[in-house]
Amino acid sequence: MKFLMTLAGRNLFRNKMRTIVSITAIAIAVMVVVFARGLVIGVLDSSFSLYVQYDSGHIKIIDEDYENKTELLSLKHYVDGFEGNGVLKMADRLEEEEGVQLAIPRLKFGAMASPGEEIIRMMGWGVIPESEFQFTKIETAFEQGRMVKMGKREIVLGSGLISSLNKKLGDNITILYKNSFDAFKGSTFKIVGVVDHYLPLINNRLFYIPLDQAQRILIMEDGATEVLIKTKSMGEAEQVKPIIQQVLGDNESRDKYLVQTWSEANPTLKLFNIAKYIYNIIYILLILLAGVVVINTMIMIVKERTQEIGMMSALGLKSREILIIFIIEGTFMGIVGSFLGAVSGSIFTKYLSIHGIDYTEAVGVVSGEFLMNPTIYPVFNVENMIFSFILGSVITTLTCIIPARRAAKLEPSEALRDI
Amino acid sequence: MSLLKLKNVEKVYHQGKIDVPAIRGISLEIEKGEFTTIFGPSGSGKTTLLNIIGCLDKPTDGEIYYEAEKKLSTLTKNELSNFRRYNLGFIFQGHNLIPVLTAFENVEFAIRIIDGISKKERREKVLDILNSVGLEGLEDRRPNELSGGQKQRVAIARALVKNPKLVLADEPTANLDSENSQEVLNIMLKMNKKLGTTFIFSTHDPQVMEYAKRLIEIRDGKVTHDEQGENLDVPH
Repeated sequence: MKFLMTLAGRNLFRNKMRTIVSITAIAIAVMVVVFARGLVIGVLDSSFSLYVQYDSGHIKIIDEDYENKTELLSLKHYVDGFEGNGVLKMADRLEEEEGVQLAIPRLKFGAMASPGEEIIRMMGWGVIPESEFQFTKIETAFEQGRMVKMGKREIVLGSGLISSLNKKLGDNITILYKNSFDAFKGSTFKIVGVVDHYLPLINNRLFYIPLDQAQRILIMEDGATEVLIKTKSMGEAEQVKPIIQQVLGDNESRDKYLVQTWSEANPTLKLFNIAKYIYNIIYILLILLAGVVVINTMIMIVKERTQEIGMMSALGLKSREILIIFIIEGTFMGIVGSFLGAVSGSIFTKYLSIHGIDYTEAVGVVSGEFLMNPTIYPVFNVENMIFSFILGSVITTLTCIIPARRAAKLEPSEALRDI
Repeated sequence: MSLLKLKNVEKVYHQGKIDVPAIRGISLEIEKGEFTTIFGPSGSGKTTLLNIIGCLDKPTDGEIYYEAEKKLSTLTKNELSNFRRYNLGFIFQGHNLIPVLTAFENVEFAIRIIDGISKKERREKVLDILNSVGLEGLEDRRPNELSGGQKQRVAIARALVKNPKLVLADEPTANLDSENSQEVLNIMLKMNKKLGTTFIFSTHDPQVMEYAKRLIEIRDGKVTHDEQGENLDVPH
């Protein structure tokens, strides 16, 4: 075996340029896979994170009838706790459960403002500021000022929104809305902060006011449109959901509220997960493409060495041993190419994971539909590097079996006749 | 006891729907230690016969016995590989050395694939045979650093290093000039005498035939002449 390995190793240096081209093809394919995986993981993780923070949490509790009216921001069907005892008590009770790290109520409602002749549509969130800090990364998004305080008639606006309203920090703003009794009302708040989420969807429409103020103006005492729950990880949502349902059942609220995991609340995210599998198939196809280069190289090698194969066979080398020589050659190219590709791809991914890729213009186009961070940070991780290295090595090894078998099957008398 | 016995051996190649007979019922016996030349015009079946004797090809019909008892025509592909590995040496027209191996390694190849030979023993055998063919001091040269005659001598050393009972040489001097041809033939004759190795050549070179102790002529796949002894009547 050692001799076969030595022979295969030396054979690789017969035509250095050809070996280098094959190794380069594999390295490029593996490098692209490492980077593409990092990029896709980065995009999906970022989107998952945004959906969890701004939309669904890991688990969302809403009124049974609210589900179909979420888009309308209906205030008719809301969460008011167990048997109407209040959403805050309900959130506190849920936080007692194992697996629940945080339970925060949000009261989402539609509003508008008319700074001049123009009418600007907005979306208001009544929030508990401290909980919001724990749940989202909003503290890092503050461009000016601070977060609202409970009990105060204060408002925090998105940077795009404050700009279109022609307001500045410290100004008062009057928002118009329909309360839970469908009465058209107006309330004035003082602007205490400006946030820039880098998300046009949020930036241009969203404002925060304290939950108690939202409940007051909307006449929804101790209510919220949703309670969001944060678990240890996204993966644990499925395990925690039955616990939440049990708590609701124990408090006679099982039929009143709907409990949804992040994947149930956002069918799009399910598609993202499917996309991950599709991308895996694309990665395999990409490496197979490089494998074709190896196959081509190996076929040329077999053709060139046909007489030599005949000679080795005549000396008594068995088909299996000839197969091994060629597989070792292909595998060597696969391993070296995959290693170089995995390392260079990882270095590239690591660099971009720090500096990011600015997709601002592209995100501007799609932001009306998706929560997507305009700066994408590909994810660098060792697992990705190892996965891509193994994928490259295994696929190229498997592909080189085809020409190697062809060499092993050659009849010695025919091979020796080859010119 | 004969080393090799062929009984009514036939070989037919199938080219599309046409059957092309290459060997037509050849029966032969080769004794141990013979220095035999098979000659005949191109396409007469010399190489096919040599391939069949060397277990590189299977006969369509007929039987081949090795040392009277081993029926080669019934062996599987793997068994034939094993048989060649331990019992046969080959010398090819184009020497067929592995370009990435040195002269030493090319010769060593033949015994490297045989179990039970230690590294030290291998080294001794290879150096000994390289000395015998006059290549001492050239062990570390690769084929591209050797002349045509030297390459063929490496090929002879490779065929003989395992001390086989039978060496088959297909036109071994075809690519050599007259001087190198004689040198190579002398080496083979010397080994035949020294080691008792049986040699079977195929050739149409009268110079080679002059060295033969037995001449077998083949025409159209049949043995048309078989003569042995000293001072054979070599056709020119």
